[in-house]
Amino acid sequence: MEIFLQSVVSGVLTGSLYAMIAIGLTIVFGVMRIINLAHGEMVMLGMFGAYWSYVLWGLDPFVSVVLWSPLMFAGGMLAYRFLLKDVIPKGELNTLLYTAGLSLFIANLALFFWTGDYRTLNLPYALMPARPFGIAVPIALAIAFGMAIALTAALYVLLSRTDLGRAIRATAQDPQSAALMGVNVQQISMITFGLGTALAGAAGVLLVPSLYLYPTVGEILIVKCFVIVVLGGLGSVPGAIAGGILLGLVESLGAVYVSVAYKDTIGFVLFLLVLLFRPAGLFGVGRT
Amino acid sequence: MTRILAAAGIALLLVAPLLTGNTFYQHLMIMVLFSTLLGTSWNLLGGFAGQVSFGHAAFLGVGAYTTMLFYLKLNLSPWLGMLAGGGLGALFALPIGLICFRLRGPYFSLATLAVAEIVRLVALNWEQLTNGPVGLLITTLPQISIAGRAIDWESKIPFYYLVATLAVLAMTLIYAVSRSRFGAYLAAVREDIDSAEAVGIDSVRVRVLALALSAFVAGVAGGFYALYFRYIDPDAVFAISLSVEMVFIAVVGGLATTAGPIVGAVVLVSVAEVFRERFAAGHLIFYGLFMMLVIRYLPEGIWGRLRLLFRFAQG
Repeated sequence: MEIFLQSVVSGVLTGSLYAMIAIGLTIVFGVMRIINLAHGEMVMLGMFGAYWSYVLWGLDPFVSVVLWSPLMFAGGMLAYRFLLKDVIPKGELNTLLYTAGLSLFIANLALFFWTGDYRTLNLPYALMPARPFGIAVPIALAIAFGMAIALTAALYVLLSRTDLGRAIRATAQDPQSAALMGVNVQQISMITFGLGTALAGAAGVLLVPSLYLYPTVGEILIVKCFVIVVLGGLGSVPGAIAGGILLGLVESLGAVYVSVAYKDTIGFVLFLLVLLFRPAGLFGVGRT
Repeated sequence: MTRILAAAGIALLLVAPLLTGNTFYQHLMIMVLFSTLLGTSWNLLGGFAGQVSFGHAAFLGVGAYTTMLFYLKLNLSPWLGMLAGGGLGALFALPIGLICFRLRGPYFSLATLAVAEIVRLVALNWEQLTNGPVGLLITTLPQISIAGRAIDWESKIPFYYLVATLAVLAMTLIYAVSRSRFGAYLAAVREDIDSAEAVGIDSVRVRVLALALSAFVAGVAGGFYALYFRYIDPDAVFAISLSVEMVFIAVVGGLATTAGPIVGAVVLVSVAEVFRERFAAGHLIFYGLFMMLVIRYLPEGIWGRLRLLFRFAQG
C-alpha cells in the first residue's frame, strides 16, 4: 500500500510538469495546426537558463522562473515572426520538417557551447525528501508541482476570462471566422507561439533540480509530449493536463508493478490504443 | 529524356569507384547510395502515397537484425539474409499498416513514431535475442568467388557495387510503380482519400501494400547496413533521428519523384561531410540550418524545383 501511494505521489508530481510542457505543444497545435518538433528544445533551453543563472548568479530556479518565462515568451514570438511565419503556408509536412531542422539546430548549438556532459543542480534545502505520512516527497519536485499548478491556472484564466484568451480560442476554432470578427490571426498566432514556448521554458526551469540536463534531453521530452497530447486529445488544454498526469502515473506505477525496462513501452502502447480507438483523445475533446 | 538520364546515371555509377582510390571517398559514395536507398524507400510511402511516416527506422532495424541474426545464429548466407531482412520488414509492415492506416494526417505520423519507439525499446530489452544495448558484431564475412576470384571484403569496392545495384533496383521499382495503375491509386489516395474511396479504391489495402513495398526496401537497406558496418545496436538502427533523416533525404530531393532521393542523398551527404570537416564538433548545427533553408526556399525539393524549371523551359 505504501509503495502504491509512493508511486502515485511521484507520478502525479512528475505528471504535472509533463502536463505543462504538453499544454504548450497543444495550444500551438490548436491555433496553428503545427506540431512543433522543436518544443523539447525549448524545455532544454529553459533548463540550461535556470542552470546557468544558478551557477553564475546564485539565482534559485524557483526565483529565476520569473526571469526566464518572459524571456522565453519573447524568444518564442521572435521565432514565430522570423522563422515560422513564412513556412507555415507551405504546408503541414514542410512545417513539421522545418521544426525538425530547428530542433536539430538548437540542440546541436547547445551541444557545441555546453558539451554533452550530464549536469545536475542540487539545491541545498532539497537534498533530503520530506516525509509526510511516511511517504517520501522530493522537495524540489513538490515546489515545482505547486508552481506548475499556479502557472497552469494562470494560463487557464488567461484563456477563459480575457479578451486575448477569447481571441486565441476563436482562432483555434476557426481562423477564417475569427479573422472576419476582427481578430488579428497573425498576431494571435505569434502570441500563442510565445505562450507555448514560455510554458515549455518555465517547465524546464522548474524541472532542473529534479532531472539530469544535457543538450539532447528535448528528444525524450518531445516524444512523451506526443503521447500526452494524443491521450488528452490534440488541441485540448484540459486534455493535456489529464494526459500529463496519466502518463506520469503510468510511468511510475508501471516501473513498480510491471518492469523498469518496459515502463516507457507501456506509455507507447497506451498511446497506440488511444490513437486507434479514441483518436479524439480519452475525453473525446481533440480534433480529428 | 528519362532513358538518357537513367543510362547516363548507371554509366556514372559503374565508373565512379574507378575515379578514386581513396577509401574515404569510396565510403562517401557508399553512404550516398545507401541514403538513396533509404530516401527511395520513404518516398514510396511518404511521397507517392502521401503517408508521412516518422518511424521508418523500425523497418530498417528489423532488416538489419534479421540479416545479422540469420548469419550469426543460423549461419544463413548474409546475402540471402539481406533478402530475408527485406521480406521480414515487409511482413512486419502488414500488421503495423493495418493498425496505423486507420489514422490520417498527423495522427498517422505520430502512430508510426510510437511504433518505432516500441520496437526500439523491445530490441533494447530483449537481450536473449538481440544482445540488448551491447549490440551484435560480425567479425568475418563468408568467402564468395566471382569468376574464380575471391571477393575482398576488406575493400570498399564490392560494397559499392552491391549498394549501387540495390539503389538502381529500388529506383527502378519506384519508377515502375509511378507509371503503373497501382501508382495512380497511390496518387489518388494522396490527393484526396475520400474521393479515392468513393471511386472504389480500397485505400487501406493500397496504403498497406505501399508500406510493405517501402518496408521491403528499408529492410534490405538495413541488411546492407549490418554487413557494411558489421556492427549494429538498437540505438543505431532504430533511432528516431534515422527516421527523420530518411524523411529529409526524400523532401530535400523532391517528394514523389524517382530521382529526388538520389539528389537529396548527394546533397545531404556532401553537406554533412563538408560541415563535419569545417566545423568538427558543431557540424549538425549547420546541417539543421541547411535543412531549414531548403524547406523555406525550396519546398518542392531540389529535384522537384529543377524539374519544374525544366518543364517551364520546354514551355
